[in-house]
Amino acid sequence: MKSDMGLIVKTTARATIPLIGIFGAYVVSHGHLTPGGGFQGGATIAGAGILFLIAFGLGEMKRRYNHHLYSALEGLGGLVFLGAAMLGLGVAFFYNTLWQGGPVFNGQPGTLLSAGYLPIMNLAVGLKVFAGLVSAMVAIAAYRRWKE
Amino acid sequence: MGFIPVFIWSFVLWLVLTAGSKGMLWSPEELVAGVVFSGIIAFTTKDIIGEKASRFLNPAKWVGFVVYSIGPLFWGMVKANLDVAYRVITGRIKPGIVRVPVDLENDAQYTILSNSITLTPGTLTVDACPEEKALYVHWINVTEKEPESSEVIAGSFEKWARRLGR
Repeated sequence: MKSDMGLIVKTTARATIPLIGIFGAYVVSHGHLTPGGGFQGGATIAGAGILFLIAFGLGEMKRRYNHHLYSALEGLGGLVFLGAAMLGLGVAFFYNTLWQGGPVFNGQPGTLLSAGYLPIMNLAVGLKVFAGLVSAMVAIAAYRRWKE
Repeated sequence: MGFIPVFIWSFVLWLVLTAGSKGMLWSPEELVAGVVFSGIIAFTTKDIIGEKASRFLNPAKWVGFVVYSIGPLFWGMVKANLDVAYRVITGRIKPGIVRVPVDLENDAQYTILSNSITLTPGTLTVDACPEEKALYVHWINVTEKEPESSEVIAGSFEKWARRLGR
């Protein structure tokens, strides 16, 4: 069974997958400034992965997709989130110590490097959502057959 | 090999998205973040964009794309929209799917020509078959059942697609 799309869809996917990826990265990294954030941006980037899966087919996806890598990335996203939350444990859990006189991420509000640990947490959530959604879609697509 | 075209392609979109972070221009932290994220995107998608994507980094080709999109393509869309409005009002249609032989070499040329044909109303590309060097086009008003070239459907689009996608 042929599981990939025609030439036009494939060529357009080649050009648009990087654009979807960078737009998702923009949404994630500006989560503290503009609408969006970790989940929305991560889901956008996962959309690029799903576009790859649909346009190029499951065979090509299986060649590129590494289950262990995605599993590790998802765990890493959760751990970074937890690590950022632990930074201010001297005062309280989730205390934003980077913003209250920390060394980095304490710029003028409205600039990229502001808002304390929020950008870090957005990046962590974005990574986790991306890895989780892509893994879930690949697992569903690779389900063995329609009926026994 | 595909790293540099993806990097530039995604970094340009980043610059467009973050323009205005320092007056009308970009603040240095946005530029650094853009380089980092574009680098990640380029590293992960460098095998996807295609082996010969760097030929689109030629500035002469960008000028060609701009000229094509505001010249022949836009004018063709205006004409075709008016034509379809005329057919909607009068109801004089003769729909059908025709096979159009084209003389193109690579995927990018097929994509440019197919999208141009689909963008001009009244014609819709159904399938592109590079192995038989033909497009299948659904046409609202079939005047030639077996056209010899894409001239009757697409005008000068094939010439432009051949030049832009080379």
